[in-house]
Amino acid sequence: MSLTVQFLSEIRKFLKNRNGHGLRGLLLVEPPVPNNYYQLADELKQGYRNGASLLKLVDKCLPEDDNVSDDEGTAWPGFVSFMKDYLEYWRDVDFDDLLGAHQLLTALTNSCTTALNNPTYGTIMLQTSISLCGCLSKLSMMLNKRPDLTQKLQTVDAGEEEQKSIVETTAEIIQKVFTACLTDRSSQRHEQPKGKKTGVYTFANVTLKLLFAVSSENASGEAAFHKYHSQSAAVIILPGSAAGYFLYYLGRFHFINNHFSRAAQCYQEAYLETPQRFESHRWLVLTYLIPCNLLLGRIPSPQLLQRPEAQLLAPIYMPFVEAMRTGNFLRFQAALDANEKWLFSRGVFLTLLFRLRPMVWRAFSRRTFLLTYIAPTEADSRKAATLELSHLLTTATFVQKRLEGYLPAHPGRKPRQPHINSMFLKAHASAAARGAEILRPNEGLVWGNMPVTEDHIENFVASLVAQGLLHGFIAHSQGRFAIIGAKQKGAVAAGWPPPAEILATGLKAGEDVPGWVKRV
Amino acid sequence: MASTSTPKPDEKSSSPAGSKPEQSQNTKTAGALEEDDEFEDFPVEDWPAEETEAANQQGNNTSGGTAADHLWEESWDDDDTSDDFSAQLREELKKVDAAKRR
Repeated sequence: MSLTVQFLSEIRKFLKNRNGHGLRGLLLVEPPVPNNYYQLADELKQGYRNGASLLKLVDKCLPEDDNVSDDEGTAWPGFVSFMKDYLEYWRDVDFDDLLGAHQLLTALTNSCTTALNNPTYGTIMLQTSISLCGCLSKLSMMLNKRPDLTQKLQTVDAGEEEQKSIVETTAEIIQKVFTACLTDRSSQRHEQPKGKKTGVYTFANVTLKLLFAVSSENASGEAAFHKYHSQSAAVIILPGSAAGYFLYYLGRFHFINNHFSRAAQCYQEAYLETPQRFESHRWLVLTYLIPCNLLLGRIPSPQLLQRPEAQLLAPIYMPFVEAMRTGNFLRFQAALDANEKWLFSRGVFLTLLFRLRPMVWRAFSRRTFLLTYIAPTEADSRKAATLELSHLLTTATFVQKRLEGYLPAHPGRKPRQPHINSMFLKAHASAAARGAEILRPNEGLVWGNMPVTEDHIENFVASLVAQGLLHGFIAHSQGRFAIIGAKQKGAVAAGWPPPAEILATGLKAGEDVPGWVKRV
Repeated sequence: MASTSTPKPDEKSSSPAGSKPEQSQNTKTAGALEEDDEFEDFPVEDWPAEETEAANQQGNNTSGGTAADHLWEESWDDDDTSDDFSAQLREELKKVDAAKRR
């Protein structure tokens, strides 16, 4: 009996027992494999160069049985066709030719999807589909890093309307498998997934990994998540590796789209559901969970900072926390500068730069208030608690000069100067030699070296009031910010409520997160 | 078909999600900051719920909060104005105020 016939009869046994795991274990496609797979390949090369004769052999060895009982299985046309493709794959594959191997594996995965779609027996193919998609994804990622090879492909394909990368094409193929699983009607939404539906998140994850590999801001990612959410048959996420994986990428997606509350929920669930032994996964989740929470007005507790996965992150993120607490723009800028490259590579730099800035302005205005406000001594005073905007202009101008490289003059060494300008500040020796440092637009308080004006200050304060980070109103004619509710709560508490009270309500209420069907 | 000649599943290659040694997942050194942000496959597909923090916290939690409550602080404003930064701001405000009075 030839090796090919022996192989097919083993396959038939697994079909009969509906043993999807066994099938997956036998239908290997990538090295390392036992030697007899190479012997099988040699036999196919010698005896079955012709596709029609191969199909005939598979048809003969895998007949469609009649009178199959409920707990048994048999071959079906889609499966026979897949097996023919599988044997052709082993006949033709050359693992030194990655591009050729990718094309063969793509064809095989498509064939597998067709077999999986069979309503009666398709589920037997689920594990094999997972395995093939995993291999195809791995190979595509490998090719993605080899432009020398894929360039050839692009030259061949040149002339098409839209050039898709090898990774995008693979993602589309795997999405088809995902859809096949999603449309399985054996279980309802919010029910424990059964049958093919158990593979939904596995395929979703492979697709997302591919899409994020192409570009973290890829529009296809958005389309994929919308699809996951809009499908009425979406599946609840059960704890486990697939959930952690999916929620990580869903979090990335919402983070990129500035939905920090949604992103924080995804990361939080991923973090809490990942056991402590998977430290590197928890570390990666925390890389985003911490900035998400900072942007929602929540800082890491000492308990969290003591954890092993937080050890490398604390020196990066805690300077931002200090800046948020004290309103110290110099520290904020230093925190951005210190790890700019790393933060940028994670897609966090620009978000922190622009989105955390209001939080620093809030603390900066609060600090200026603490330094300037004199509470009325009479208990029944009707005088409103206010922050003079001119005071904020003074402190902001000072900070802008510091950012430009000037150092504060030591008090008492020079006679007092009559105006607020750079003469109040003694330039650092080197800064004095070359004048103010030229700042990049994002390094200045307003825009690079642009001096801060009264209008800017009023604008910043108005913006903070509008965001709810400051509680009160601007008395424009008086040039003041007036606090509402100072009598009841005290001026500082009333004027500067904890940001989390305003920003983290959605997170705490567990608001709906598009793309995630939560357990109910 | 003789069992010896049948291609047998290879433990590692048949399980893409389970092929990585667990040890490599658990070690993060200083060099980790340079690694890319690919979320690697977990070395196992599933784990008991008791192993997760979510389950542990729910078990210990009698106050009605969530498992993540102790990880974050929401009241963190710094009222201490004796630091250098505050001292510099204070000095600047004094100077400008004095200049205005002249």
